[in-house]
Amino acid sequence: MSRTNKKQVIMVFMIVLFFSNLIHAMTAEDIIRAMDQNENYATSYMTGSIATTDRFGEKITTFKAWSQGAYDSLIEFTSLAERGQKILRNKGELYLYYPDAEELIRLQGAALRQSVLGSDLSYEDMTGEKNTLDMYTVSFDNEDIVHNQACYVLTLTAKSRTVAYPVQKIWVDKETYIVHKGQYSSATGRLLKEFEVLETKVIDNRTIPVKTKISDILKKDSYTVMAIEELQIDIPLDANIFTLQSLMW
Amino acid sequence: MKFIISLAFKNLTRYKRRTIITAIAIAIGLMMYIIVDSMLMGAEAESMRNLRWYETASIRIMNTDYWNDRLSFPLDEGIQHPDKIIEVLQKNGYAATSRIQFFADMILYGEDFGEDGNIPALVTAIDTESDNDVFRFEHTLVKGTFLDPDRHEAVIGSWFAEDIGAELGYHITLLARGKGGFFEAIDVKIVGIVNCPNPNVNRSLLMVPIQLIDDYLAMEKTVTEINIALSDRADINEEIEKVKQLVDPIEKNMTIVGWEELAQDFLAIAEAKRGGTSIILLLVFIIAAVGISNTMLMAIYERIRELGMMRALGMSDSQIRLTFILEAGGIGLIGSIIGVLLGVLANIPMVVYGFNFSFMLRDMDIGYRIQSIMHGSWNPISILVAFLSGFILSMVSAWIPTRRALKMDIPKCLQYR
Repeated sequence: MSRTNKKQVIMVFMIVLFFSNLIHAMTAEDIIRAMDQNENYATSYMTGSIATTDRFGEKITTFKAWSQGAYDSLIEFTSLAERGQKILRNKGELYLYYPDAEELIRLQGAALRQSVLGSDLSYEDMTGEKNTLDMYTVSFDNEDIVHNQACYVLTLTAKSRTVAYPVQKIWVDKETYIVHKGQYSSATGRLLKEFEVLETKVIDNRTIPVKTKISDILKKDSYTVMAIEELQIDIPLDANIFTLQSLMW
Repeated sequence: MKFIISLAFKNLTRYKRRTIITAIAIAIGLMMYIIVDSMLMGAEAESMRNLRWYETASIRIMNTDYWNDRLSFPLDEGIQHPDKIIEVLQKNGYAATSRIQFFADMILYGEDFGEDGNIPALVTAIDTESDNDVFRFEHTLVKGTFLDPDRHEAVIGSWFAEDIGAELGYHITLLARGKGGFFEAIDVKIVGIVNCPNPNVNRSLLMVPIQLIDDYLAMEKTVTEINIALSDRADINEEIEKVKQLVDPIEKNMTIVGWEELAQDFLAIAEAKRGGTSIILLLVFIIAAVGISNTMLMAIYERIRELGMMRALGMSDSQIRLTFILEAGGIGLIGSIIGVLLGVLANIPMVVYGFNFSFMLRDMDIGYRIQSIMHGSWNPISILVAFLSGFILSMVSAWIPTRRALKMDIPKCLQYR
């Protein structure tokens, strides 16, 4: 190969490498958009359970939940100890209803950071908007196999301090765009929580995680398993479900 | 009049045993009152001191939004220019220090504590240079050293350390939300244990250097509170006004409160206990009044024929009534003198040595900020009130039985058996 040809080949190789990097950078954000899109339903209804395990044992809470778009949702707890308690979420607002006290509480500010029924989920997690790219910058790490599924491995770095976990590493399924695994860390790089999908189901041609586990890495044997027993997507819902009046019914 | 006084005195000495028994009943009641009042007053004074020295300081400056939402300890609502405020306060002769208080999940490790676990903890981040100008923890260190501002260190209350089994050199992790709401984990080593006289503090105290928290929780030099120490005699409201005028030009939207506002739980309990003291006093007086009335009733019934004779000889009802009232007053006076003397004598060891309630206070929160020894205090007004009440009430309680005897006719009195 002549010297000129060699130069041309190197040039072409570098151009390909440059564009492939560009494609990867764009893909990382596209992946996140696809992931967000996959998690949003026009409407949904589900029943399920939250099993919280710590060193004192296991506590199971069952619930029914309705959602509409990215902002409106209503959860009603059905387990004996919490029966009738409701959480209503509208855009930027969250209300709790306690039937025994017939009391309606609006949660705001620091109160949103409290845990939901002692689980590893906070009320803030429920109010959080589902547009990940507004909160995080994304970078593509590599590819990996999780649960026999090919995944993109992405690192999300928080754009502001208002995000609970400053750094997230997530494994997003290449085909279905569901997050199979996540590692949530502090700004100093300390791993705090791990997320894992234990079971998925195909509903209306969409693969949906129906059993997930969040483990608290700092607390030994502390984790929360959320299981969806029944899920209906894109069903007609009464618009009044997501109003304050509905909480009192 | 001289005759009436002399007659009353003679009657007192005629029935010595009865006089002494009634006087002792009054004396014991008054002595108990003086001791209980002394203990409660002493506990209150010591609690107020321990509150100011270890918990609230004399005055606290906070952002108004933080004050309104203080139960959540919101780090986002801090004081933006604490250094400037402290500089101005110090220039004006105030001892001031800044602190950050926040809730954290305290993670305990099996390697040190024997088993893994976690408990919620209220963490106090202190400025190691100026904190001892306002609070008095330097004198309470019982093990290890105080905090080094540049190290990942913690100082813990001795009761808290006992409860979780902590020793010097043990490591813990504090999982907390930083300013804005992000999670952060901070590893610290326990380097000191303090035995704080304020039980509420000793039961939960966990102190770390403010520099560490500023860095990890991204506080950007903001703090949640500035504490000011004043002398015990300072007029808090007047000082709050002065501090307001100094703080206002530097930072707006500040709330400045005195220790009484911060320790309302204690003040409510102290108020209730003061009510309890009044009930004790009332019970003492009821017992004394019943005793005196009974004694006088017996004396009057024994002397009804004597009364009839005195009335027949021309002594007026008011003179007879006065004789009995003076006799009762005499019993009250003897009882009050003995009661006050016994009360004062019994109070001396209570004031000097106190009474050790640690067996009870270790695991029980009675509201008072006293950890073990409850000291009495001298309260001259209470002693005077006890003395005068014993004396005057005795005379008042003689009124009713005398009135009853004076309603009888003279012939009936003379024929009375």
